[in-house]
Amino acid sequence: MKNLKYILTILVLFFMMYSCEDNLELQPEQSLSPEVATSNAANLQNLLIGLYDEAAHGSAETPTFEENIYGGVLNLAIELLGDSGELSWNGTFEQPAQLIEKQLVPDNTFVRDYWLNAYEVNNQANIILDNLDVVEDEATRNRIEGEAKFLRALMYFDLARIFGAPYLAGQQNTQPAVPIVLAPVVDASQVEFPGRNTGEEVYAQAISDLTDAYSLLPDSNDIFADKYTAQAILARVYLQQGNYAAARDAVNDVIQNSGHSLTVDFASAFNNAGDSTEDIMAWQITAQDGQNDMNTFWAGNAFGGRSGNPDVSVNPLHFDIYDDPNDQRSQFFYETSGGTSTTKWQGEFANIPFIRLAEMYLIRAESNFREGTTAGSTPEDDINALRARSGAVAISGISLQNILDERRRELSFEGFTLHDIKRLQGSVGPLNYDDNKLVMPVPQREMDANPSLTQNPGY
Amino acid sequence: MQKKYNWLYLLFLMGLTIVYAQDKTISGTVTDQNGVPLPGVNILVQNTTTGTQSDFDGNYNIQASEGQVLIFSYLGQRTVERTVEASNTVDVRMQEDTSQLEEVIVVGYGSQSKRKVTDNIATISSDQINEIPTPSLQSALTGKAAGVRITQINGKVEGGIKVRVRGVATISSSQEPLYVVDGVPVTNDDESINNSPINPLVSINPNDIESIQILKDASSAAIYGARGTNGVVLITTKKGKQGKTQVSLNSSYGWSTATNKVDFLNAAQYRELFLESGLNNGFTEQEILDQFNFYMNGQTNVDTDWQDLALINGSIEDFGVSISGGDEKTRFFVSTGYNKNKGIIRGNILERYSIRGNMDHDISEKFIIGLNTAISKSKINRISNDNAFATPLQAIAQVPLSPAYLEDGITPNNESTEYYNFLTEQFNGNFETNLWRIIANTYLTYQIIPELNFRTEVGYDFSDQVAERFSGSLTESASVGGFGTANAVETEKYILTNYFTYNKVFNEKFDFEATAGMSFEESRRRLQFVQAQGFPSDDLQTLNSASEIVAGGSSRTAFNFLSYFGRANLSINNRYLFKGSIRYDGSSRFGADNRFGIFPAASVGWIISEEDFLADSETLSLLKLRGSWGITGNAGIGDFASLSLFQGSPYAQRAALAPTQLGNPDVKWERTTQIDGGLDFGFLSNRISGEIDYYLKTTEDLLLNEPIPGTSGFVNITRNVGELENKGFEFVLNTKNILTENLQWNTSVNLSTLDNEVKSLPGGDIIEGHNIVRAGQTLSSFYLVEFAGADPANGDALFVLNTQNADGTLNKGTTNDFNAAQRIIAGSPYPDFIAGLTNTLNFKGLDFSFTFQGEWGASIYNDGGRFQSGNARFFDNQTVDQLNRWQQPGDITNVPQARLFSTNGQQASTRYLDGSDFIRLRNLTLGYTLPHEVTQKFQIDRLRIYFSGFNLLTITDYKGFDPESTADFNASLSNIQVGEDFYSAPPARTFTLGLNVDF
Repeated sequence: MKNLKYILTILVLFFMMYSCEDNLELQPEQSLSPEVATSNAANLQNLLIGLYDEAAHGSAETPTFEENIYGGVLNLAIELLGDSGELSWNGTFEQPAQLIEKQLVPDNTFVRDYWLNAYEVNNQANIILDNLDVVEDEATRNRIEGEAKFLRALMYFDLARIFGAPYLAGQQNTQPAVPIVLAPVVDASQVEFPGRNTGEEVYAQAISDLTDAYSLLPDSNDIFADKYTAQAILARVYLQQGNYAAARDAVNDVIQNSGHSLTVDFASAFNNAGDSTEDIMAWQITAQDGQNDMNTFWAGNAFGGRSGNPDVSVNPLHFDIYDDPNDQRSQFFYETSGGTSTTKWQGEFANIPFIRLAEMYLIRAESNFREGTTAGSTPEDDINALRARSGAVAISGISLQNILDERRRELSFEGFTLHDIKRLQGSVGPLNYDDNKLVMPVPQREMDANPSLTQNPGY
Repeated sequence: MQKKYNWLYLLFLMGLTIVYAQDKTISGTVTDQNGVPLPGVNILVQNTTTGTQSDFDGNYNIQASEGQVLIFSYLGQRTVERTVEASNTVDVRMQEDTSQLEEVIVVGYGSQSKRKVTDNIATISSDQINEIPTPSLQSALTGKAAGVRITQINGKVEGGIKVRVRGVATISSSQEPLYVVDGVPVTNDDESINNSPINPLVSINPNDIESIQILKDASSAAIYGARGTNGVVLITTKKGKQGKTQVSLNSSYGWSTATNKVDFLNAAQYRELFLESGLNNGFTEQEILDQFNFYMNGQTNVDTDWQDLALINGSIEDFGVSISGGDEKTRFFVSTGYNKNKGIIRGNILERYSIRGNMDHDISEKFIIGLNTAISKSKINRISNDNAFATPLQAIAQVPLSPAYLEDGITPNNESTEYYNFLTEQFNGNFETNLWRIIANTYLTYQIIPELNFRTEVGYDFSDQVAERFSGSLTESASVGGFGTANAVETEKYILTNYFTYNKVFNEKFDFEATAGMSFEESRRRLQFVQAQGFPSDDLQTLNSASEIVAGGSSRTAFNFLSYFGRANLSINNRYLFKGSIRYDGSSRFGADNRFGIFPAASVGWIISEEDFLADSETLSLLKLRGSWGITGNAGIGDFASLSLFQGSPYAQRAALAPTQLGNPDVKWERTTQIDGGLDFGFLSNRISGEIDYYLKTTEDLLLNEPIPGTSGFVNITRNVGELENKGFEFVLNTKNILTENLQWNTSVNLSTLDNEVKSLPGGDIIEGHNIVRAGQTLSSFYLVEFAGADPANGDALFVLNTQNADGTLNKGTTNDFNAAQRIIAGSPYPDFIAGLTNTLNFKGLDFSFTFQGEWGASIYNDGGRFQSGNARFFDNQTVDQLNRWQQPGDITNVPQARLFSTNGQQASTRYLDGSDFIRLRNLTLGYTLPHEVTQKFQIDRLRIYFSGFNLLTITDYKGFDPESTADFNASLSNIQVGEDFYSAPPARTFTLGLNVDF
């Protein structure tokens, strides 16, 4: 029969169908399940490196500059919110404009992303800490635990500083800061709705993690955090708390034992493809990976900056802080059509120095001075070491103000301004250091998603 | 539309013997029952391939010999057979055939007589969409179907289109209908690399389309089960007909401009406003004048109209040839087309080349095979998304004092512009996307017994998109020495479909029809991309020349569907209609426990006019009551939404992992239950006919990207929560106002109400940007602080507090502290009433048709308003209404005092929200067909010249560019953030002249 061949064809087609059902089981080809991702030491190490990526380069889902707090946007906020006229915002983004105007609104997306990114890092650190038992080698396990705790502490320290009222030395700091979340979330059932912990609790959490990290981490650890990195951040925390003796001892340990040294001149400390001798830690940026958002906002167009050319320009008022025309730091600027740019962030694909040894000298000088001690060195010698490196004349008969001025000359545009004003109880223009407008609002999306949160006063 | 007529015709031809005799020329006239000449009647000598058509006056000539039989056939007329006798003249008067008049419409997996359809299906035929000068198929449908809202996102030629059938029935899944082309559910995913969507269907040549059916209610769409919730658009392409081979040529050329421009400050106005703004905020006059001089860059009398540089005159050309015909066994349709659309936005061009071959062949009485194949290539010169300085329309932010070009008049000025000058993009860069598409389908039908047929289909859809972008040494990529991207995406899908159709009339009363079958579909997507920088020359634009590869990657993903479906129709006495269908769908996109879903539907109909008490009515020709119920699903979520995922995320060239998605193994199908009640009517031999429908569409288990506390490390999770309701009335009225030999005038009106409400949302409000999802409100309502104008005393921007009073009312007092004011629901991004009106007139050789379309009830939030109309807060150029700013105590105005670099009313508020009601003359065509006697001399059957226009007129109070244009960069990111304008270009207003020739 002639039709037979067609009928056979039909039967073959039908037969094909029956084998289809198994095909409904498809697995993603770009992703791993949580079980696999946390199943062995190698993957845990991958997650750990991913933690640095999360902090410096932002979320893997949406890699925009808004979501990588240590890629530059947090420093930008600290400089703009703490600015009293030394800077101008020329860029088109409204979010930083709100910062420099001290007119923040709770749906500012930069502010939202500081929060979100910090907690992404926090959760990833929690996932690592929860799965340490898959690492059999003790030294490796300690290192991984130390690094994860270091990065988690960093998040809480910064979150407390930007979302909580200023930490007041010698008091119980009951002002709400941010929720402390230490349990990992890898599936929907683990999502919680935490309320805000107090400033005291969040600082204590950071100190505890950093102290652990210091004891767990090795003396050196390539481009990643080592024990002195943890110690350096501990010094920052103590300084912010006004605990000068502890700050002094911590920095003294770093300066004497970490093996880092000041670069030969000021320019060598910046715009480096790799870490300089002075970098206790730097966020790694390459043309392939990450985005230097310090450059994005602070550099002229010709060097990769945004359209404000530069978005943040430095006004003449700033130059009043320099006391020696030969000081390399007073010349570390260049002109573009939008105004004066700092040279610190000229390199589009340069690393972002995060903890420089110079800061350690400044903390030691200030702490020794305040405590009336000379641990490690005298305040005068520490300050003059920095001045000599930058070609500025030495000063003698040093005062606290000299030290604080030196701190500004050395650390301008590196994300210290607002924090220093708060700890020194200064002011930002007409606003007192503890003004509500100098504390960021809890992001609106977070208020909307979590009924347990309370908003900061003034928002 | 597939006409039953073809099949009847074929049957006549079979089994007849061939008689040979001497040929002679037979001529005559064919008329209808009233004696009116009928043009276009097919005349065939039985059992031969000799055939002709009657001309415009009903006359024909054909070679035949005595004893042969002439077959006269014409749509809607009974086929007439006449045996050739001695006379050389055969005149024929044809009789109307009411049974054949029954329109047949395509439904899922088959076709059905329109008279007996119990579902709500909108049908659009080719003559309603032909010659509308728009490159996208969907745009041509705007205003033509009740309850279907079609919006072009903005004026980009390749731009995305939103099609919403009966409202928005989902929040987080896809809201687009399923498109099925000749039985193949086609891929409709945007693969743009720059967040500005590309309409994947631009690759379909609208001239190849025979008809489009939009399955609107659940009863019709449920046969597509898990993908039916957003409606189904069935596209049927043209097929050949037995008879004389017909060649059709279509050529048109046209011009286009933007539908609207907005008035911005000229140089003098700019100087006035910004000097004042600077002085108001502590700047000195000299500082402001210095800034003005910086912009002018040494040139004098600069007054640049940046908007005119961005929105230019476009052009459109379209050329197509199709050849169709066939003999008694084989029918074919082949076509080729070329379309070039130079957009109204500088640098935006779309070119499409397409070919199609459709073939059907009867192997025997029992076997028919066929093949539909279309291949197309589209080349798009693209521009940036709306949220980039490089996009042309952001040029309106530039200062009119800045020259557009340097002194040489060629090089774009980037020395003294406020922002990057978009002209550089074209001058020193290139962004081109090529899109290749193959859609093919082969089928075989086998008549097992006369009542039972089997059909098997193999469909294939291949889409390849290659985007290449180069930004040279003068662009924003100057600092890295030029930047290039190459990105390729291939998506291929195959689908196997098998089904049986059974059709039998029992006892002459029970007409029973059933369909049962299955399909398996698999779609795979592969992507490769690379980015590089540092080019030795701006002339070397491929990545081979780059000095450093900075990014690259590849990915693969897939999904599949396994489905079983069945449907039964029963009509009793031609008046009681019953239908039931069921579909069982499984997809890899859902968790193992929720992989399969069942989607049933049922409908009933009662043709009252067939009842004895009405059968003799002279006035009433059709009265049919319909009711339907059904459940559909939505699978438009990510391929692996149920899984928690970790992805690679390197740091400092070291491998790393990071969590990217919080999975939810409980994710299941979104279920939409829809009921529909309708009435079809026809009066005076269907001179007046129409449909009235009411529907209620309830979506449960909403797939929602529910925001979760960021403290979890994640932003949202896909959950099935909440309930959403859409309901509305649809009213369609078609009238044949004048129906005479020389003049025919038809009118078609459709009116629809759209009422959307979020019924429940267990997780509470979801707020994204300026939109809120809140129980009891329309989805994505605008949620904004209420603006209250300028304080007459000091020019401060005022906002309404809207805080809750003790008695529950809102405090309508005002404040100048933005943070003290509470947000309120301030409007909806969706219209609640849409309408379309089409008129068609034919007078002798003239044809004239036009469609008006309107939408009411929606608003648009202009997110660029803070820059464009922000009382000179930034140096951005301002709309002229900002001149109406507060200047001195006592001034009553809505524009607060201008304060350069100081926020005064630019925050997100109702200040930038505006109603977007509009009525638009969507398209208009005026054609003239030359008399047949004239064209006959040139062997031409038909020659028609026409004028066609698109978006010719817009009536609106909306202050922005266009009441339909919204920001494209949100379109692909969020379903909640809708109705926002951000430097979004208006669509084109197009005028074309064209020519149709058939021979």
